[in-house]
Amino acid sequence: MSARAFSTVGQAVPRVDAEEKTSGRAKYTTDLALPGMAYAKLALSPLPHARIVSIDASRARALPGVYAVLTAAELTGMETHYGSDRKDRPIVAMGKVRFEGEPIAAVAAVDLAKAEEAVELIEAEYEELPPVIGLEAALAGESEPVQETNVCHRYEVAWGDAAGAMAACDHVFEDTFTFPMVYHYAMEPHAVIADYQADRLSVWSSAQHPFLVRAELARVFRKRLDQVRVVVPYVGGGYGSKSYTKIEPLAAALSRLAGRPVRLALSVEEAMKTVRRHATRATIRTGVQADGTFVARECRVELDTGAYTDNGVRVTERAADRLPGPYRFEHLRSEAVGLFTNTTPAGSFRSIGGPQGAWACESHTDNIAHALGIDPLELRLKNLVRPGEELLRGRRRLEADLAAPLAEVARGFGWHDYEPVSTAPHLKRGVGMACAVANAGASPISGAFVRLHADGSATVHVGTTEIGQGSRSALAQIAAEELRLPLSSVRVIASDTDAVPYDRSTGASRSTTLAGLAVHDAAADARAQMEDAAARYFETFAEQVALAEGSASFEGESISYGALIGQVFGGAGGEIVGRSAITPDHPSGKLAEDPVFWEVSMGFAEVEVDTETGRVRVLRYTSVADPGKAINPAQVEGQDEGAAMQGVGHTLFEEMRYEEGQLMNPNLIDYRVPTFGDLPDEFHTVLLERGDGPGPYGAKGVGEGGIVAVAPAVANALFNATGARIRDLPLTPERVWRALRETNDA
Amino acid sequence: MRPFTLHEPTSAAEASALLLERGEAARLYAGGTELLLAMKGGFLPCDHLVNVKTIPGMDAVALDGGALVIGAAATHTAIESAPIVRERFPLVAQVERRVANARVRNVGTLAGNLCFAEPHSDPAALLLLYDAEAVVEGASGERRISIADLQIAPYETALEPGEVMTAVRISPLPGGARAAYLKFGIHHRPTIGVGAMLRVAEGVVVEARLSLGSVPPVARRLPEAEALLLGERAEHLNAESSAVAEVADAAAAQADAVDDLHGSTEYKRHLVGVFVRRAIAQAAA
Repeated sequence: MSARAFSTVGQAVPRVDAEEKTSGRAKYTTDLALPGMAYAKLALSPLPHARIVSIDASRARALPGVYAVLTAAELTGMETHYGSDRKDRPIVAMGKVRFEGEPIAAVAAVDLAKAEEAVELIEAEYEELPPVIGLEAALAGESEPVQETNVCHRYEVAWGDAAGAMAACDHVFEDTFTFPMVYHYAMEPHAVIADYQADRLSVWSSAQHPFLVRAELARVFRKRLDQVRVVVPYVGGGYGSKSYTKIEPLAAALSRLAGRPVRLALSVEEAMKTVRRHATRATIRTGVQADGTFVARECRVELDTGAYTDNGVRVTERAADRLPGPYRFEHLRSEAVGLFTNTTPAGSFRSIGGPQGAWACESHTDNIAHALGIDPLELRLKNLVRPGEELLRGRRRLEADLAAPLAEVARGFGWHDYEPVSTAPHLKRGVGMACAVANAGASPISGAFVRLHADGSATVHVGTTEIGQGSRSALAQIAAEELRLPLSSVRVIASDTDAVPYDRSTGASRSTTLAGLAVHDAAADARAQMEDAAARYFETFAEQVALAEGSASFEGESISYGALIGQVFGGAGGEIVGRSAITPDHPSGKLAEDPVFWEVSMGFAEVEVDTETGRVRVLRYTSVADPGKAINPAQVEGQDEGAAMQGVGHTLFEEMRYEEGQLMNPNLIDYRVPTFGDLPDEFHTVLLERGDGPGPYGAKGVGEGGIVAVAPAVANALFNATGARIRDLPLTPERVWRALRETNDA
Repeated sequence: MRPFTLHEPTSAAEASALLLERGEAARLYAGGTELLLAMKGGFLPCDHLVNVKTIPGMDAVALDGGALVIGAAATHTAIESAPIVRERFPLVAQVERRVANARVRNVGTLAGNLCFAEPHSDPAALLLLYDAEAVVEGASGERRISIADLQIAPYETALEPGEVMTAVRISPLPGGARAAYLKFGIHHRPTIGVGAMLRVAEGVVVEARLSLGSVPPVARRLPEAEALLLGERAEHLNAESSAVAEVADAAAAQADAVDDLHGSTEYKRHLVGVFVRRAIAQAAA
């Protein structure tokens, strides 16, 4: 770490986009319009599983004002399928529909009303197939499978002899937990404007990973990477729902057919039928010694990945990685199987497989503590992986100490001397905790350019998507810090594959660590060039000059960056360009191992339950985030609190409900997301800043961690309050009421 | 959403004539908070919207001989913030302040809510505690419909074709009456709403009204349960009393609950008992 004091890094400066966004001037994809742009509407399958006998779009095509109707028949001279791991997703349904809401056709028309009218005129004939709904049906495989088989992916991580070791343990505990399908609810549903031309495809999209979208579009439309441009304006939230490629190929194919730019903006209902989180069923068996020492664990998780693979392979693998929890085991076997069903495809969602794993693992941990009569905190402290140990064998060792902060935050929360207050006979209170660690960071592939202009201002070119997480602010702070410029002199431009260097993705909590390192290194490169220029100007050595606040100085003399750049280029104009390319071979040596970093989650909850209605309220919640070094502490807290509140959603309310393959609550009236009224009365985020991350200044990723611990912490608090152990989410009042009744009857 | 023509009449008679003329293709439009959702979802295609908000005076909230008269274009926010409502009908103000969310309250209207007859909703169940009427105007002139007779099924009212609700008329509670309204649910719309009105003379309940909304298809009174309250001493009507428990059981038996996204029949019956008990205790306190 640098010995000099930071000027902007570590400061809770206001977001660089705050005024633009709060004044309404910030442009999102649907705020843009191209000349001659058509409006698109999708025709969706009403059936969850059926063979398509015929689609007749002739009446729709004949409607005045309709430019084009795309069906599978029009997907000629191009690739017809796409997908991040497997190319199993047709751009529009081909031959078969696999979930209710799957696009079977799309209309481009002069306006949206005309497009909607045309969609009503499309006639499709189907031969219905029995829908495969739920894990049991997918495993049973008694009807026509969703894909060639109902098994999407199998994965296992194991060492030692878990099954054998159980026999020698003093106790063996087993529990099964389920986690529902949930929807991300980004406030901006997916939106794309595509402009297809023979030698050029330009797409404006609410995409998290523009370079992966570019590669997919280039493949689908058989173009070179330089012929495809993906621009990402401001994005109204992603949470994984806009990761990889979603509706971009469909919009581009429709633009190709219509011969004009096409705007496709989904509704909330359509977004709910685009991607969701995996529902899971997880069983954990743990062999424990009488003193509470964990010896062996066997766990299995089944994931409902919906109709297509999307990111199901990676989610299945992460689910198995994350399910065993942050504990030491001499013997472990963790297996996962991802299963296809006739429901909305499941993909990435803030910490893939993380909340599902922690829900099972951390509820199970409290059950063990209760059965052995050990305090849940003490049981965790006894078994947590220590710093420098391997959490998963063969992977990067855990850099962070988990036990000390868990114990410290527990003290601050009042864990040891907690006494529930009772305000009425039917209201009961209790406290609970949960802890998890996740392999995060995805791949360390990111680049950046920093252009230092002739007036001393700077533009940062970096491929991170600003999805509301505040990347532009954090990256601007890093650039300003390294360039020795005031923050107001630095601008970070929007992602545009024509204008910014490659960045793998905006997800897996990776941006501040990896894109941040890219910006750090590019800015340091520019600074080194300025130091050389200043050394030449002052006729001294680079080490002798000091750069600060946009000026270089030596022995009491100083020169502004602008004047210095003028000196370099022999007149007005010119610019200094710093560049970087982050790879696993980064000179710091910190990116060579997998994962890039371990993301820490800890949560403490106090809840109050109305034992007559089953309604649970979260009174207090403390979340622990480990950014290593918070570049902007206010933004770290904001992201962590946002993640925790999103977790309150799947803990208490959220669940996509299917009946016979039909989504019963495809709207925000019947699908309940958290609102301000659900905020805990006391809500804190504790930041751990120990400089132990691989990113700039010791930073590492946060943003996903906050969602992981909420459900088990709340359910453990409910257990503490009432003795009722609930194994299925969400903790709806009726479910809690039933559990309380069973507990009282027992 | 399909394009539609917006009509802006300047009298109830004109609005009524427009409705009669266009028949099924036309709908009355006030706040639009329910209507536009249904139209966007394609459940309620209509080509003509007849806007009642352009009718002068339709948004008035006023007293008429002690009764509260709420114009059909008055929003929930206008109602709950009107001083006469807050002073003379505090329970109405209290419930209106918590209908749906701020966005709905700022544009949605009480009359529109009653006419849409969405089962999961508060106002109808609240107004059953009062002597309240819908004032409607049609081709054959004005008539009044008791709130108890207004909604006949989910999304269906007793209004005849061409009839326009112009106001809701609420009489004050009788002297010695105390009332409470409780709602519960985790969804955007309530899972259950329970109202209780007790008129007490010399410490004894001489009149009781219990209303239940969101659980049955249409908000309703619970007469069998009400009858059990007559003659009870108000001071005994707390949440732990056995008399109240009996009333709650009777109410649960009459709940007319159905399974839906809000919960099972069994759970809803249970909730009816809990909230009838709590509402009576609150009204009696």
